[in-house]
Amino acid sequence: MGQTQSNLLAAIDIGASAIRMDIAEVRPDSTLHVLDSLKRGVQLGKDTFTEGHIAEESIRAACEALRHFKQVLDTYGVVRYRAVATSAVRESSNSDTFLDRVLMNTGLDVEVIDGQEENRLTFTAVAEWLKGKPELGTGKSLVVEVGGGSADVNLLSGTELVQSGTFALGSLRMQASVSPRAGTRDQQTRLLKRQIASVIANVKRAIELKEAANFIALGGDVRFAARVLRGPEGQAGPSLIARETFIEFADSIAKQTIDGLVKKYSISYMDAETLIPALLTYMQLLKETQAKTIVVSDASIRAGILQDLLPADQVKRIKQLSSQILSAARTLGRRYQFDEGHAERVRELSELLFDELRAEHRMTENHRLYLQVAAILHDIGVFVSSRGHHKHSYYLIANSGLFGLRQRELEIIANIARYHRRALPQRTHTSYVSLDREERMMVSKLAAILRVANALDKEHLPKVTDLKVTREGDQLVLMAQNVSDLSMERMALAGRGELFSEVFGKRIVLREETRT
Amino acid sequence: MSQRRQSLFFSRELSWLEFNARVLEEAQDPANPILERLRFYCIFHSNLDEFFMVRVASALRQIRENDPKPDPSGMAPDQLLDKILAKVRTLVDPAGRLYEEKLLPALAKQKIQILTAGQLGETQRRYVDEYYEREIQPILTPLAIDQSHTIPRLSALAIYLAVLLEPQKEGETGRRLAVVQVPVRIPGLIRLPEAAGVEVCWLTDAVRSRLDTLFAGYRVLEVSAFRVTRDSELELDDEGQESYVRMLETELKKRQKATPIRVECEGSMSEELKNSLIEGLGVSQPALIAVRGPLDPRPLLTLVEMPGFDKLRYAPQPPLMPAVFDQERGIFDIIREQDILLHHPYDSFDPVVELLETAADDPDVLAIKQTLYRASGKSSPVLGALTRAAGKGKQVTVLVELMARFDEERNISWARDLEDAGAHVLYGVSGLKVHAKVILVVRREAGGIRRYVHLGTGNYNERTARVYTDLGLMTADPEIGRDASGFFNTITGYSEPPAFTHLVMAPIGMRDRIISLIRREADRARSGQPVGILAKVNSLVDSKIIEELYAASTAGVPVRLNVRGICCLRPGIQEVSENIQVVSIVDRYLEHSRVFVFRNGGSMEVYASSADWMPRNLDRRVELMFPILRPELKDRVVEMLEEQFADNQRARRLKPDGSYERVTPGKAEPVRVQESLYRRALAEAERVRSVTPVRFAPIEGA
Repeated sequence: MGQTQSNLLAAIDIGASAIRMDIAEVRPDSTLHVLDSLKRGVQLGKDTFTEGHIAEESIRAACEALRHFKQVLDTYGVVRYRAVATSAVRESSNSDTFLDRVLMNTGLDVEVIDGQEENRLTFTAVAEWLKGKPELGTGKSLVVEVGGGSADVNLLSGTELVQSGTFALGSLRMQASVSPRAGTRDQQTRLLKRQIASVIANVKRAIELKEAANFIALGGDVRFAARVLRGPEGQAGPSLIARETFIEFADSIAKQTIDGLVKKYSISYMDAETLIPALLTYMQLLKETQAKTIVVSDASIRAGILQDLLPADQVKRIKQLSSQILSAARTLGRRYQFDEGHAERVRELSELLFDELRAEHRMTENHRLYLQVAAILHDIGVFVSSRGHHKHSYYLIANSGLFGLRQRELEIIANIARYHRRALPQRTHTSYVSLDREERMMVSKLAAILRVANALDKEHLPKVTDLKVTREGDQLVLMAQNVSDLSMERMALAGRGELFSEVFGKRIVLREETRT
Repeated sequence: MSQRRQSLFFSRELSWLEFNARVLEEAQDPANPILERLRFYCIFHSNLDEFFMVRVASALRQIRENDPKPDPSGMAPDQLLDKILAKVRTLVDPAGRLYEEKLLPALAKQKIQILTAGQLGETQRRYVDEYYEREIQPILTPLAIDQSHTIPRLSALAIYLAVLLEPQKEGETGRRLAVVQVPVRIPGLIRLPEAAGVEVCWLTDAVRSRLDTLFAGYRVLEVSAFRVTRDSELELDDEGQESYVRMLETELKKRQKATPIRVECEGSMSEELKNSLIEGLGVSQPALIAVRGPLDPRPLLTLVEMPGFDKLRYAPQPPLMPAVFDQERGIFDIIREQDILLHHPYDSFDPVVELLETAADDPDVLAIKQTLYRASGKSSPVLGALTRAAGKGKQVTVLVELMARFDEERNISWARDLEDAGAHVLYGVSGLKVHAKVILVVRREAGGIRRYVHLGTGNYNERTARVYTDLGLMTADPEIGRDASGFFNTITGYSEPPAFTHLVMAPIGMRDRIISLIRREADRARSGQPVGILAKVNSLVDSKIIEELYAASTAGVPVRLNVRGICCLRPGIQEVSENIQVVSIVDRYLEHSRVFVFRNGGSMEVYASSADWMPRNLDRRVELMFPILRPELKDRVVEMLEEQFADNQRARRLKPDGSYERVTPGKAEPVRVQESLYRRALAEAERVRSVTPVRFAPIEGA
């Protein structure tokens, strides 16, 4: 007590049906070992999804659970932690009150995260988990986590993310949509299945479920199923369940009453209530795939948080995820039939300029990633209409739910893309003004680079492929190798380079350098 | 069908009485040293007291509440009660005869004499008179029973003298009844001076002989002792911890008020006095039992334990310090290196105390968590270490169990002391008794956080550890550490139960796990794999487990059970339990460890547990079962169990009719497991010491 332990990390996850905490230790080899896992059932989701706000009683229950968690943190001397709250708090009308009460009662600073961040954290954990499972490296895998409020669905090829989304397919949300009606257990189950099926129809539009050869399931409810099916002498950890066995099990659970489940499996009422809708959701998703088995993983949002908290992580997060994020961006681009060659060339030129100008802009790897994504996606608005396409690009990106990026980050990227042509950032642009000062500066700098890079690929042809950058006074000289005529590009630059001069205080000069 | 099914189970109560009969047999056995026989005689009686307070009380309650539900053996409550009382009589009568005709003469032969008032010498007479006037009389409070004849509330299990009085004055008529309690705070036996050897007399007799001094104006017609036994039922409501303790205190007082379920009186009591008692106490005729020998033999334990006289007791077997601790290293280093199994009382309990004491003083220890069911009281070194650790600012969490039968008053005061020292004391888990025995020490080390765990089958009580056989496991296994941490998070209400890797917890899943382990043996038997179940428990009552054992037997699994006390399983029935053998060992130590071995087709699994195979343990208590993982330790446990089945001196075999017969050596070597295990431990300690090289450890300046 009293002494703080810098090699201990904690992740707290305030979900729709439970509050959980993992405490982990960072070993000298930088691996994580979970020391303690705590869980208290608190039905925040039930309140939010039926009443729209969290009831006083639930706030108290949550505070009590978190106060205990805090005591455990203090026993170990944990100071590095991240506490996140997901859909149940996010969607409640009194989320601010909730967070404030928690802070006052426990001293824990809880952050409400959006669906994308939730999905990214889960993916981080799954990616880490998959490292030890080469057998899942072949074929596409569907990674599904059914939470209380929503379900995260990711399609992977190997460990590369192909498609992803967060859907309103949570167990409590589903239950809330049917429970007020009376009726037999059977009727309720039928209704529940129909509700789930209608949301899955939406999922199928975004994610090619039938492509999946593996089905990886995450979450407390499916872990419960694995535990029961494995039998009591089984060990904790990942496990495989045959497709038919799982379907049978889910159906048999759906036939039982809540009381029956509580009694038979010694689980809490709260756990029993989420069990049926959650297992039916997994089952119906499973049926859409070709998977012969369901692999239950113990990866969780908390494991993702812990990975994030590993020292020197910020850079690592981007490193680990940047290829996933970029491939998600390309997938999105393809959906809008973008000019892939142009997009990649603009990205490369943007990277080159970004890297050359590090001394001037002093920005980080995160910003570089925003620029890359903006470069790939800057033209997707053309899919809607080439007229004013930068504005279409803006809202397509902002609403893409692109994997691995938080909503705020997507907002920034969408702004960068918006300013790739014509108008400069202005005080009258609401989307720009909604950013804070620092973010606005960032957008200006990155848009300035994007505008130059885009001008250099004016002809959408692989022309400027090799650039050398030198500095002459307040001029930045770009020497294009093996190119004879750059008049088109020079003209384009004249129209797009002024933001650059304004932001960086340097004028761009373009020169051809032909070597013999 | 149901008739047949029910007859497959023995009555729990009658089986318990069979166990107490085995205890009495040890008192009867002339081969046992006399003071040990006397001890068994005392244990027999205090066992019986507890049986009346709990089991008979429960049967009576069932009858009173008109609950005709038969027990698993098929007996209705009234039928059962009749059988119980009949069986009790067959035990109590020989016990009284044993005391008067065998034990007293044998003691006298060793110059240990219990004298009646009439047998005292002149000096002794004067000594007792003086003692009476100085120590006893001032605290005597005679209660005159008024004309309504209702006797006010009497303390349970205390001895009272019923006094029949007649007015001395001419003209006053009518006999009167008075009641005098024999003081409980004065030793029940008075050691007499001028004795040839040891001479004592009963306090009750001393009071009796001077009663006339209390009733001026009356003539004492008759004095006879009696005592009452009551239903010990505690009904607790659980509303918050503070009031929990306070309520318990008042509940204790309430306990004293309940109607007697048994009244024992001296055999010499007249019918007139008996009838007055029956009327005055409001009890039924059969509840009054006339007893030969002392009403409460417990004071005799002072004779059993008096210094000297070692020849009249078992040869001492001082607990041994396991050789692994015989080195100049800290206990944490030793445990980290390998799991350690302690088998008490052959092995010393000191390492457990040392673990706590080291943890209390170690600056790197962050937290100590422990369950405490019965500690030995204020002077307990376990409590001392925990209190010290809390005082040093370590996080100390202690889960004390206040409902440990008959120990409540003692528990409350030390629990408060712990709290005052800064420990986080939890008074139980709502609705469940915490019976699990586990210590968790969280320590910060160079390699990270490490958890040291002790798991046991017996209480953290260094006194009972000398007379109860129990197993303890000390381990630094990270998975067990994590499980133990999850266990404490669960019982302290910080978390819902986790999915345990190694530990199995009651009431969530322990029975299911045991059943699935038994079924696995049955399955493997059907496919011809090597199977076998070896289990040792104190009581086997749980019908579901018994039925699984029957199924395993039918599938061809050899099942050998070592059940010290109650066994409701009926062995040796064709097509039901022909492959099941049951033995019971009653000897100098109370067999207490619960151990289970499953051959499992060759990959043997061994578990130890705090829980008996009783519904009480599996449904209404928090218990832990844990695996023994290290192969050498598994072997050691199996060897220990095998030795139990080899015993042919103190083992009894349960027969299909529910009676027990002694296992005889025949032509085999005599084996007495509680001695052979000690010899084995001694030999092992010698062996290890002889092969341990001398270590040259330079002593450096401080």
